[in-house]
Amino acid sequence: MALSKEELKEKILEKAMKAAKPQLYVKDFYKCDPETKPRAIKNAANELVKEGKMTFWSSGSTTMYAAKGRAKDEEGEGGI
Amino acid sequence: MGYDPKNPMVGRITDLGPPKYDKFLPPVILNNKGKWLYHEILEPGVLVHVSETGDEVYTIRVGSARLISIEHIREMCDIADKHCDGYLRFTTRNNAEFMVDAKDKVAPLLEDLKSRGNKFPVGGTGACVTNPVHTQGWVHCHTPATDASGPVKAVMDDLFEYFGSMTLPAQVRIALACCLNMCGAVHASDIAILGVHRMPPMIDHERISGVCELPLAIAACPLGAVKPAKAEVNGEEIKTVKVNAERCMFCGNCYTMCPAMPLADPDGDGIAILVGGKVSNSRSAPKFSKMVIPFLPNTPPRWPETTEVIRKILVVYAKNANKYERLGEWAERIGWEKWFEMCEIPFTDKSIDDYRLAYDTWRTTTQFKYTSHIK
Amino acid sequence: MSKHDTPLLDELESGPWPSFVTDMKRQAEKKPEVWDILGQLELSFKDKITHWKHGGIVGVFGYGGGIVGRYSDVPDKFPGVEHFHTVRINQPASKYYSTENLRALMDLWEKYGSGMTNMHGSTGDMVLLGTRTENLEPLFWDLTHDLKQDLGGSGSNLRTPSCCLGKSRCEWACYDTQETCYHLTMHYQDEIHRPAFPYKFKFKFSGCPNDCVASIARSDIAVIGTWKDDIRIDQAAVKEYVAGNYPSNAGAHAGGDWGAFDIEKEVIGLCPTGCMSMNGDELVIDNAECTRCMHCLNVMPRALRPGKEQGASICVGAKAPILDGAQFATLIVPFMKVSADNEFEELIDFIEKVWDWWMEVGKNRERVGETMQRIGLPTFINVMELDPLPQHVKEPRSNPYVFWKEEEVGGWDRDIKEFRKRNAM
Repeated sequence: MALSKEELKEKILEKAMKAAKPQLYVKDFYKCDPETKPRAIKNAANELVKEGKMTFWSSGSTTMYAAKGRAKDEEGEGGI
Repeated sequence: MGYDPKNPMVGRITDLGPPKYDKFLPPVILNNKGKWLYHEILEPGVLVHVSETGDEVYTIRVGSARLISIEHIREMCDIADKHCDGYLRFTTRNNAEFMVDAKDKVAPLLEDLKSRGNKFPVGGTGACVTNPVHTQGWVHCHTPATDASGPVKAVMDDLFEYFGSMTLPAQVRIALACCLNMCGAVHASDIAILGVHRMPPMIDHERISGVCELPLAIAACPLGAVKPAKAEVNGEEIKTVKVNAERCMFCGNCYTMCPAMPLADPDGDGIAILVGGKVSNSRSAPKFSKMVIPFLPNTPPRWPETTEVIRKILVVYAKNANKYERLGEWAERIGWEKWFEMCEIPFTDKSIDDYRLAYDTWRTTTQFKYTSHIK
Repeated sequence: MSKHDTPLLDELESGPWPSFVTDMKRQAEKKPEVWDILGQLELSFKDKITHWKHGGIVGVFGYGGGIVGRYSDVPDKFPGVEHFHTVRINQPASKYYSTENLRALMDLWEKYGSGMTNMHGSTGDMVLLGTRTENLEPLFWDLTHDLKQDLGGSGSNLRTPSCCLGKSRCEWACYDTQETCYHLTMHYQDEIHRPAFPYKFKFKFSGCPNDCVASIARSDIAVIGTWKDDIRIDQAAVKEYVAGNYPSNAGAHAGGDWGAFDIEKEVIGLCPTGCMSMNGDELVIDNAECTRCMHCLNVMPRALRPGKEQGASICVGAKAPILDGAQFATLIVPFMKVSADNEFEELIDFIEKVWDWWMEVGKNRERVGETMQRIGLPTFINVMELDPLPQHVKEPRSNPYVFWKEEEVGGWDRDIKEFRKRNAM
């Protein structure tokens, strides 16, 4: 059975905090629950950003996710 | 009440989307939407569209540099307020269009535009050199191999006579992309000006740990030329990457993912010219632009090597192509070997594809023309 | 901010084409930070290299797109452009503006930004060029609250959709590109503002095969207007063209010395399918042979119009060269009705089928056209639950190595012992 949304968010956040590489693609979260559709996983990850627990990092062409404070940036000043 | 930094989330609005288009349609457009019967170009830059209701709209098209200031846009608004009931539009090729609903309003509008120096050149219609689409270049981009606004200004100063006239066999769409990423539809243009890097990235071992995810930099390379490596920084061994320069195709994709791998270089970078692309399905299928000149140096502020060769290509095309024939259709009719000979452009091995899907471009027939290339 | 000497840029103030340098100097009189843009650009002209670097984290809270981070690598020399982030504003369909709206946007940008813009970016957004991190949230607040407008897309998002001017001012539009573009933009606000995909995804809407927004060259889903029935002919207007009373190609060739209009040579002779002829002074079109390229309509707009049964061809998978070379979009649905009456249901179903598949099997930073190449067009057509058609290819394959499926050959289980009874080693 697929995880509930809150369970899924917990797993995603855990992965984002513990992963060896701090910046992750949305696809890296698919494994958090193989029974949940990619679009639902994407929605859960985006909700975590909304809650301030994760941040986006964008090359301009690609966007990645990181647990708050883990993303690397040229300026190292973190943005918002 | 404005933004409150202490409570940024209170009263926040998101996901509004753009304003609905019909709020911004001039009345004559709104009233005749879907009812247009035909159009005609009355003179370069001036079009009339005629509706089944009998209404007419006259459009004056003016070129712009794309990189424009708010003062310039406000001046456009002044013009639209004075002549066009407060409406205007922009085209996908960076032109502005001023529309009026009666013929007698055209002359005063043209007069007004003319009185404002070279800010609002009228043209860009029919068998002309249309307004180039282009990217940011040195004015804003972090990966460019050339500037954008500078070369475009230089090329259009040189070809200005063709923007405001309709003497060519067909429209000639020029586009500039400041690196191989090619923002915009540069790869399907009659004449494409393309910024190219030619040196592999340098590696800033001292900065790389701070600013890069090494696996991302490694994965970014389409040819597997970026590999994990170790280096010594201040007596300590650190994890970093190395680049197999022989395999590098200078795309800059690694630099996009890792700012400690810069590849731009004042003399390594320059411009390639690609020709013969088209987007429209008219007569022949859409075509990619083909590389005919692999490298020209960056020579600011006016890039004379680039402007000279583009004029040359344009003049030979204008003289030899048939009515309606796009540059690429002409080149295919006469054969590319003839094209190089007529344009007096040296053919080099760089014009022979050796990347993926290259075989599609190799000639597998005994049909060819004897040109000066065959000694 | 002080004025910098710009001897190289000054050379771009002469010449007949509008000068961005003159324009920037004019803006600098009101917004002195523009002197620093000019100063840094002059340095790039001198050094022949860019002086910008990328910043990945900046954005407005909760949005994964719409802002592209940018910093100067020489901020000590040019403090006015230390931060120089781009703001993408979702343009109104077909880029029509009221001056009231445009002036309000300019006032906003005067307050929070550099004063320089691109009208427009390649994808279609209004691009506001250069602001500081701390201005982003206040700018977004005013944009949404006062102007009721929004940012466009960037990163792995659905990029801001764009369209040609369509039925608003063109006689050839075969569906309402503006309404389609607006409806889908509103329908997919979440996908535009928050990353959703392995990489960028673009829609573009062109009303006819002339494809004025270059959708077939650069959009992951290109919706290109076309028709099914017969080209409408006004024989009286044909005669006017033949008599030279109407200008050919709507006057587009008026400046050239091309001689009298010759319908045989210029229309019938250039038809790619050879489906046209003259019967006395009447033009005859064998519509079953027509591929709707638009040439004859372009040349004689007063005589020929698209048929009445109108819709669109849907092509998938175009992209710029990076990384495996450029691709044009491949024809997938030859004809689809595109109508606001059912809220574009058929098109939306199609789009979401593509997304569900691509999100599952697409690799990171792989455009859908590349996924199609990697996995194969037959699989893609199958996933889309469409029948394979000869229209999907230019010609049938010559390569004989077909990937047969087990069920297509009645099972692959065989007994080697039975085989050996009949066929000795």
